Amino acid sequence: METSSPAAFVNAEILTMFVGRRVRTVVQVQRNEGGMVVGQSPDGHPLTIKSAMDIPVSHFMEVYGIAENNQTIRAEVCTDFGPSFGEI
Amino acid sequence: MYGGGGHYDGGDGAANANSLFGGGGFVPSQSTAAPESSGGGSGFSKASDDKSNFAINGVEVSTVRLVGRMLGKVERVTDVVFTLDDGTGKIDVNRWQNESSDSKEMADVNDGNYVIVNGGLKGLQGKRHVIAYSVRRVTNFNEITHHFLHCIQVHLDLTRPKPCLPSQINASTPTPGHANQAWPPNNQATTFSASGNTAGNDVSSLVMSVFHDPAIIEREDGITVPYIMDRLKLPEHVIKDVIKKQEDEGNIYNTIDDFHYRSAMNG
Repeated sequence: METSSPAAFVNAEILTMFVGRRVRTVVQVQRNEGGMVVGQSPDGHPLTIKSAMDIPVSHFMEVYGIAENNQTIRAEVCTDFGPSFGEI
Repeated sequence: MYGGGGHYDGGDGAANANSLFGGGGFVPSQSTAAPESSGGGSGFSKASDDKSNFAINGVEVSTVRLVGRMLGKVERVTDVVFTLDDGTGKIDVNRWQNESSDSKEMADVNDGNYVIVNGGLKGLQGKRHVIAYSVRRVTNFNEITHHFLHCIQVHLDLTRPKPCLPSQINASTPTPGHANQAWPPNNQATTFSASGNTAGNDVSSLVMSVFHDPAIIEREDGITVPYIMDRLKLPEHVIKDVIKKQEDEGNIYNTIDDFHYRSAMNG
């Protein structure tokens, strides 16, 4: 069992504490800009995801990656969570 | 139901982070699968000299449930092996294929898919792995969130101290010295009915103490209002008022139907 590279769950506010570290979050895609996705974080702030896959607008996307700064994540893995994630 | 889940591997990762998330928890009952996260390694310990059993937070664990991404799937003649990465760590998983249904189940999952793994936690030469009896693909991604919340809840339930029993109930019995000691049933009922003085907080404490009785905590179906009435010898409307208040506050919840309740402090 390996635990050498865990990713912290973050939102936009907590992301500032993990710059340079591996993080994970789910954003709602607002726009795609050629390999870069701008999405809304769980706490309602815009985040830029680099190296992201092309996911439809308004879908939720889970991102694993390295936090480059307090608003940008360089994605290692992206997963399309669909249009209704988190709804009750 | 969502049927997507495509994923994409980006560029190489940067330097590894320090251990940031050491979650992990499990229900004490061996009859249910304990929710686990791969990174719960800090809480693992050998339960005994038996190499196949582990203890987490002091409770022996055999069956676990993990949710994560499948990586490195290798199909062999008699089994399928892969690594499960749930974001807190990675663990090797082995799924034996004895019947065609097993093969069909594994054919439905591929590298990169989020999967739910149920199986036994095993150790061999110091390395932990899972012998899975069920591997299914996640289709509703809320299951990922629910799983982690369940891990956290069970972990907290096992690591935080249990609530103290109300002192006024023990007036007719020797006062227990330890907060976790269960009081004998029915004694407090006699005391309670004799006094006839039922302040709201006393009644609420009485009812919740029934829920927190160690013999009751193990019941997955929970208990009913008639059961509490029989234990405490209190009127139905009094108990129902307490039940409703505790349910509104989130301290108890329904289980198998609207008449069975269980404390939220259980796993």
